[in-house]
Amino acid sequence: MTAPHWSDAVDLADAYRAGTLSPVELVRDLLDRIAGLDPKINAFIRLDAEGALDAAHVAEREIHAGRVRGPLHGVPVGIKDIIDVAGMPTTCHSKILLDNVAGADADAVARLRRAGAIILGKLSTHEFALGGPSFDLPFPPARNPWNPAYHPGGSSSGSGAGLAAGFFPLALGTDTGGSVRNPASACGIVGVKPTYGLVSRRGVFPLAYTLDHVGAMSRTVADAAALLEAIMGRDPGDPASVRSPGRPPSADLARGVRGLRIGYVRHFHETDMPADAQVAVALNGVARDLTAEGATVETVVLPDLNAFSAVNRVILQSEAWAIHSDWLRTRPQDYGQSARRRLLAGAFLTAEDYIQAQRRRTQMIASVQQAFQDVDVLLCASAMDPPCRIDDDATVARTYPRQARTPFNVTGHPAVAMMAGLSDEGLPLSVQFVGRYFDEVTVLRAAAAWERIGGWQARRPPEP
Amino acid sequence: MTDEAEKIIETLARAAGLDLALAEFREDVMAAASQVQAQRRALGETRPTCEPWPPMRVVTGP
Repeated sequence: MTAPHWSDAVDLADAYRAGTLSPVELVRDLLDRIAGLDPKINAFIRLDAEGALDAAHVAEREIHAGRVRGPLHGVPVGIKDIIDVAGMPTTCHSKILLDNVAGADADAVARLRRAGAIILGKLSTHEFALGGPSFDLPFPPARNPWNPAYHPGGSSSGSGAGLAAGFFPLALGTDTGGSVRNPASACGIVGVKPTYGLVSRRGVFPLAYTLDHVGAMSRTVADAAALLEAIMGRDPGDPASVRSPGRPPSADLARGVRGLRIGYVRHFHETDMPADAQVAVALNGVARDLTAEGATVETVVLPDLNAFSAVNRVILQSEAWAIHSDWLRTRPQDYGQSARRRLLAGAFLTAEDYIQAQRRRTQMIASVQQAFQDVDVLLCASAMDPPCRIDDDATVARTYPRQARTPFNVTGHPAVAMMAGLSDEGLPLSVQFVGRYFDEVTVLRAAAAWERIGGWQARRPPEP
Repeated sequence: MTDEAEKIIETLARAAGLDLALAEFREDVMAAASQVQAQRRALGETRPTCEPWPPMRVVTGP
């Protein structure tokens, strides 16, 4: 029998109905586990044990009374600490905002509450969702449950680490340059960055307006689909928000890949940013196994990955400077060094740089759209290297930008990162699937097929 | 970094109101400015007719 803390979110409704588990029992189990293990993992900035237990009692009463709100009723969720939860500080893991108590829930959190989900607390991030793990902030950086000496990716690091550690089955993250998919890759969980505009960013502290996405994180593809379905939807409070024109994200999870046309973007990891050999072997294995299951896999060429990265960085730093300039002028000492250096770069970018990056962006979007004329899904690397030790500053700095996630922040296409193997050191390797705008259904179809074929999502880290 | 480059960066930083950052975190200011040149070079070419309008709203469905 599965221990309660490893339960999948989509199985909880059945367990609650059958009486084999209750929301209160699950939350108590999770709180015990968090109390015992989080001092080694640092996933939480703020745990709301009392609020979570209160919500669990309410859910339990409603479910017993037959008033089931939906598949996430009584399901615990962790929230990245740049996303507002009413009455709790949104610190962005920064001294700058230590006392920034949210007056209202972010739209995504409000939707989760309406669905009956239980908010467990606020999760570690990189400062303002930027940079890498830092030791000069008010809270320690999250660590990788597969080996706490290693970094868990970021910036949604507490979300990824907490999922892999069995602290909660679902988490919200945000993704501006890959920050949902990076911890998904490093922690061996599933991270979905939806189409730009599908999930409202109201109540989320911005990093870069035209690149920011709220994403769904979980241990399984079905759970990610359920979470995404709960949080997506038009919100007039977010100027980029749109109503999904598509089917529910979970519509084709069981369909398999027979007949699916997959474009393999090999040059990202073979020539643009040559990947670690273990990563390349894992990616080729995914392509081979999906072909064996009936998909057609062909090589696809997109613009150079380094150009995508440069466009992402120029846009991100320009927009972030507009947000942080006043604080950088008056309170530079209140930032950690990593965020300070990255944010200060925006002061030296010009209007010309920003416009040139946006012009390149429109060309890149056209290139990716063109590729989707011939294929249904793209397959490519997520991380080019296995996770490294968290205290190895030089390797963190070298490997952190070596990734293929930024292209789909630049273009806004939906993307999923998930596990594709284990490195020689026992750390997760990863793969990324990308789909057409608003075709989360097909991206998750490919991801679910790979989950069944590869079997990696069922692996758990050793108990820390 | 040459003295001349450092002076230019200092001038730009002061113009951006970063006197405090320059006084307390000069290395960070210099490192930030150094990143920008490499990013500019990596942007690549654009067609003259390519407009900069960002995809603030994605309108094409599946």
